[in-house]
Amino acid sequence: MNPRAIGTIGLAAVVVGTALYGERITTPEVKPGPVRITYWEKWTGFEGDAMRAVVDAFNKKQSEVFVELLTVSGIQDKTLLATSGGNPPDVAGLYGPNVAQYADSRAILPLDEFCAEAGLSRDSYIPCYWDIGFYKGHVWALPSTPASTALHYNKKMLREAGYDPDRPPRTFEELDAMAAKMTVREGGRKDGRIVRSGFLPNEPGWWNWSWGSFFGGKLWDGESKITVDTPEYIRAYKWIRSYSEKYGAGDLQNFRSGFGNFSSPQNAFMSEKVAMLIQGVWMYNFISQFAPKLEWGAAPFPYPADRPDLERSTLVDLDVLVIPKGAKHPKEAFKFIRYVQSQEGMELLCLGQRKHSPLATSSAEFYAKHPNPYIKLFTELAKSKNSISPPQLGIWPEYEAELNNAFDEVYLMKKTPEEAVAYVKARMQPILDDYLLKQRLREEAEKR
Amino acid sequence: MARSHKQTQKLKTAGIHLVLVALSLLFMFPLLWMLSTAVKPIDETMLQPPKWIPSVFMWGNFREAFTYSSDTLGYIPFLVYGRNTLILCILGVAGTVVSNSLVAYAFGRLKWPGRDFAFAVTLATMMVPFPVLMVPIYGMFKEFGWIGTFKPLWVPAWFGSAFAIFLLRQFFRSIPFELSEAAKLDGCSEWGIYWSVVMPLAKPALAVVALFHFMGTWNDFLGPLIYLLDQKTFTLSLGLQVFQSQHGGTQWNLLMAASAIVVAPIIVLFFFTQKQFIEGITMTGLKG
Amino acid sequence: MTLKRRKEATAAFLFASPWLIGFAVFLAYPLCASIYYSFCDYSVLKLPVWIGTRNYENLMRDEIFWKTLSNTAYYAIFALPLGMVVAISLALLLNTKVKGLAFYRTFFFLPSLVPMVSLAVLWLWMFNGESGLVNAALGGIGIKGPNWLSDPEWSKPALVLLSVWGVGNAMVIYLAGLQDVPVQLYEAADLDGATAWQKTRNVTLPMISPVILFNLIMGIIGTLQVFTVPYVMFPGGSPARSTYFYTMYLFDNAFRYQKMGYACAMGWIMFLIILVLTMISLRLSEKHVHYGGS
Repeated sequence: MNPRAIGTIGLAAVVVGTALYGERITTPEVKPGPVRITYWEKWTGFEGDAMRAVVDAFNKKQSEVFVELLTVSGIQDKTLLATSGGNPPDVAGLYGPNVAQYADSRAILPLDEFCAEAGLSRDSYIPCYWDIGFYKGHVWALPSTPASTALHYNKKMLREAGYDPDRPPRTFEELDAMAAKMTVREGGRKDGRIVRSGFLPNEPGWWNWSWGSFFGGKLWDGESKITVDTPEYIRAYKWIRSYSEKYGAGDLQNFRSGFGNFSSPQNAFMSEKVAMLIQGVWMYNFISQFAPKLEWGAAPFPYPADRPDLERSTLVDLDVLVIPKGAKHPKEAFKFIRYVQSQEGMELLCLGQRKHSPLATSSAEFYAKHPNPYIKLFTELAKSKNSISPPQLGIWPEYEAELNNAFDEVYLMKKTPEEAVAYVKARMQPILDDYLLKQRLREEAEKR
Repeated sequence: MARSHKQTQKLKTAGIHLVLVALSLLFMFPLLWMLSTAVKPIDETMLQPPKWIPSVFMWGNFREAFTYSSDTLGYIPFLVYGRNTLILCILGVAGTVVSNSLVAYAFGRLKWPGRDFAFAVTLATMMVPFPVLMVPIYGMFKEFGWIGTFKPLWVPAWFGSAFAIFLLRQFFRSIPFELSEAAKLDGCSEWGIYWSVVMPLAKPALAVVALFHFMGTWNDFLGPLIYLLDQKTFTLSLGLQVFQSQHGGTQWNLLMAASAIVVAPIIVLFFFTQKQFIEGITMTGLKG
Repeated sequence: MTLKRRKEATAAFLFASPWLIGFAVFLAYPLCASIYYSFCDYSVLKLPVWIGTRNYENLMRDEIFWKTLSNTAYYAIFALPLGMVVAISLALLLNTKVKGLAFYRTFFFLPSLVPMVSLAVLWLWMFNGESGLVNAALGGIGIKGPNWLSDPEWSKPALVLLSVWGVGNAMVIYLAGLQDVPVQLYEAADLDGATAWQKTRNVTLPMISPVILFNLIMGIIGTLQVFTVPYVMFPGGSPARSTYFYTMYLFDNAFRYQKMGYACAMGWIMFLIILVLTMISLRLSEKHVHYGGS
């Protein structure tokens, strides 16, 4: 054989070998023994560790099911892609607001029968968390870890501004006044750049869509109407705009672009650039990791002074467990989900992630072991009648994008609150109509 | 007179060098940053403003990039991303070279009815943007059961691409047809001519096609974003984005060390082959 | 003779078969399917349901569609000529006879070899309004730099500037074209006493005009599909959708909002735009492009 032929055969062998190797990587191994199910988890770091500990405990406790945990980023999009691609995991750890879209797309299985069999019902949970997974008369998702949010404030900065460090603002009016006093410009000049701020409506900016709810607004009427153009929402956007008017949109942008990464000591709150902000129960972890010396406190987020009925408003957020349609082992998948719903599993998980438990009752030991000094506050807030969670709408991803954009445009003074709100309404109402119509046609077709 | 001419010439050369060096720095900038991050301790990777020279040089990052894998952390060793990218590159490049050279041979060296029309259609397909095809192709791969595997990202390369066919056809046409005739008289089949006459002469053009495809795969983001599901199968582009978008503690330094390790051979390869590479494109003569 | 012809045609068919299959499976079928879906309510989880031209009608009314279209046009109008000028200039510089060319060529090509996503993260730092290197450099010469990333007026210009780092590919193609210009033409120009600029203007550019046309068309196709860098740098096309580009919106519709029929309609509109622009470029270039001897 000539060298060229040998070379060709060698190259062909390399290519074939690579193809086979690639196949092996992308094909899940099949091993004898317990049923292996895959679970997609979104968290990394210590939050991921906590979930892994629960998975390990479950795997050790019984021998019928073996759960393999995989970390997946952008989980809400990836799970939808995988389900439509016909290759979903057995259990996916989604975000609560995904439930409606997934259920409407028939991308997840209803869990009613499983729940009835296992004796799980609304009474087992703090109601707002059960409700997030309950949609159109069916249970679609059960909690993994919950969160509620509260005002986090820097005691030292309050003290330096002449306030009682243990008396954080209770109303939006107090919040704005205290924020103004705590905002510092370079050299104390009026035209100096902002070096420190009391409060910013867009820090951390993860829930820019939600301010209207803090003023008592509702995003839709629960049936067919987008209700973002109500006075409550306009008021919220006016409040947002008042910050740009007071401090200058450009100055605020400049200031904010100097903030470091959230998960770093340069985080705006932890580096004492912002004195007060809305944050979730997890904030404690980051503070203890990056700024252990920070003097901070947590309290219910303020409410508008003329709306005392909105006291103790709190955003509630939930990570949920679902079984995607097309999962190979739904029964075994639920066994794992059931374990996470047990007090043992849930407290192991929530203690690891240093959150509160979504179950109706928590053990005394749980609170005793919990390092977050405000943990009871967060549990209590979750039980508040003014809990805020994203609406159960299949078009929520689009609606949220629209609300966030409206926030940007008002904050950057590109639109007035009235214009922005009218725009969102004008855009979303036809999309909702279209969606509901198609949904109804499909449901009728399915019945036939 | 002659001397002053020489002097101006020298000055001119110096000027050109100055401009080239300045521009080189500008273009080297991202790579320098990558290298600098690769040898930083983790807490200096995210400083604002960025720090160029680390306080300690962490050469161990390179070793760690290979070995770093912690089941308890749920991280994937970064080199896995590099390995996946290389698998896709190897399979794709091989497919591109094989399929396109065959097809280009038919277009450039053989006479058949409808050839010119078929070639015109082929050229026109270059204008079809990927987003148009994205949805149906996704549905098709779903039917094949390929979602979550590497196949959607390399199998199509084995079925030709318009750009590569075009480049190779131009090149093949520039090879004297007398060589084919002579081989035919010696009793060579078309396959024999393709294999022993045209292919050995076409190496520069094949190298160009291979490198372009390699870079395309290397940089592809949208494809992996849609088709790959499991973190263990991600490519470098996708893996890097994953870690950029998460709140958690990103091991930037290790990520960059891994990128540097994977990128280094390609840079060396380009450095030593760039002359042939450019000649290869010259010879394909994009003149139409 | 006929037998020989037939044999040759059979061989040709076999040689071309990979592409015939590839064309049918990866191009013709998806294109047809895409037209069909664009008239349907469709997501991969549900069967397509015919809804006529409704997707197109909705698109015409969809302000975000127009917004992303105008953003994309803005990007293409600035990034494309800038990229071409830079690529040609670099190629001209690299075509001079100075020492160390191999190094320079490699350096200019380097950014094309580094994964775009990691470059995007670097750019986030460089263009930071408060502490970025770009504004530090501008400050050095007494200009107060803008908030590149958070000011809707400046986010697109920032992306245009960034695109310059990716000219390596085009540059190499120009360079190849330059090396193909016959030396005799320059010698003749020298005899006529032409200046360097005159030589570039009257010899080089006409001689490489086919390459310029080629890169122009590839550039149109590429810039109109811009996705990766803005997707990584500006989630959701922030601030205020100033960096929300056509392909990003198409992607969101297809895979995030599960409106795949709508996405297909967007894809077709993009195809038509590219088709028209390519035709225009070809028509306009007829007079100016010089095709060697052939």
